[in-house]
Amino acid sequence: MATDATAGLPCELTLDIPFPDARLASVALNAIRVDKELSLLVKRDLSVIPADGSSDQSVLRVEYKAATNRMLRVAVNSFLDSLALVLEVMEELDVDVVEARQKENSG
Amino acid sequence: MDNTIAKKKRRIALGCEGSANKLGIGVILHEGDVGSPLATATVLSNVRHTFVSPPGTGFLPKDTARHHRSFFVRVAKQALSDAGISIADIDCICYTKGPGMGAPLTSVAVAARTLALLWDKELVGVNHCVGHIEMGRAITGAAHPVVLYVSGGNTQVIAYAEQRYRIFGETLDIAVGNCLDRFARTLGISNDPAPGYNIEQLAKQGGRVLLDLPYAVKGMDCSFSGILTRADELAAHMKAGGVGPDGEPFTPADLCFSLQETVFAMLVEITERAMAHVGSSQVLIVGGVGCNERLQEMMGAMAADRGGSVYATDERFCIDNGIMIAHAGLLAYETGFRTPINESTCTQRFRTDEVLVKWRK
Repeated sequence: MATDATAGLPCELTLDIPFPDARLASVALNAIRVDKELSLLVKRDLSVIPADGSSDQSVLRVEYKAATNRMLRVAVNSFLDSLALVLEVMEELDVDVVEARQKENSG
Repeated sequence: MDNTIAKKKRRIALGCEGSANKLGIGVILHEGDVGSPLATATVLSNVRHTFVSPPGTGFLPKDTARHHRSFFVRVAKQALSDAGISIADIDCICYTKGPGMGAPLTSVAVAARTLALLWDKELVGVNHCVGHIEMGRAITGAAHPVVLYVSGGNTQVIAYAEQRYRIFGETLDIAVGNCLDRFARTLGISNDPAPGYNIEQLAKQGGRVLLDLPYAVKGMDCSFSGILTRADELAAHMKAGGVGPDGEPFTPADLCFSLQETVFAMLVEITERAMAHVGSSQVLIVGGVGCNERLQEMMGAMAADRGGSVYATDERFCIDNGIMIAHAGLLAYETGFRTPINESTCTQRFRTDEVLVKWRK
């Protein structure tokens, strides 16, 4: 963990979450970034960046800065909870998945 | 304004609700011309899964949000397959913007946004209370009722005027359902299927005595927290082997009976005053407490005295559900209302009268 004493938020964590493609990374970004962090002592930056050796913006990057490690842990855990839900919805309810399931059931 | 939707003969919305301990997802179909009295609303699916906490405890935001996250996909799949529609048939995704508990609201909103983005549909944020009112009107056919909205989180007497649902009276502290739920905890009654339902069943065995509880109507408003305190005190008195006003012991059933009679009488009083004020003889009861048959009976007696009647729905529509969010959301969507993704937040406080009811004259 690096320090960022100037902002008064010394505890930092950056996570890179790879997605299969840029579309899904963008969906995750837009689904999650709407809800603001509830504490002023936690700062979150969400973005999509290219995967290594590709021009596809298929990696979701989240950068957390918090006043204490405890606040950092709570905020990151909450982010991971939301992310897990987004991933499950993508896996089970994306258009192609639903259509494939409906075709299977009708056939 | 996008008028394409208003020209469609069949309009379909999927609604996601999770403001308290019920996760509900439903699909509604509107047919006929928008705004026409001949337009119909048909429930295509209405799936719900409830987070039930152990006896003596309430549902906490964190646990409830976890419940909604873990069941969202299951409930959504069921709602889709029950409705027998394809994704292409859906016009918009509706979600509960508020009021309610922050964490559960947000967990469902995250999933609703993901669906809207994946399926390339527009999103509609819905006021939970307006959802209850519109669903109640659609199911019962009550055209211009005074609405009593009673649940675990809300207690309001509402009447429609000039494109707003106006609040005539409300609780000054806790909701009537919260009073009942918390008293169920005091008695250690099961929360399955719902604490209020179990109080209602127990109350049927009581009634030998009517225990004195503070009747707290203040103008058009009510207060329930003092009643709960007194009921808790009486419960402690009973457990210590104390006796009632007639010198005889009383039971948990007598307490449930007395609590129901007192709080429902208060609700009937403020509802009657609102009916007299707006000159309506119809009363529509919505919200989870609206399932209570004793409340419906007392309200029915009052309405009959005024030459009117009471309209109520059963647990499918009274208790929080996704279909009411789909229905109210689609009504707004048909008038051109949209909630852009970047504005699709949730809010714990969202008053009923903040919503412009553009779909009514």
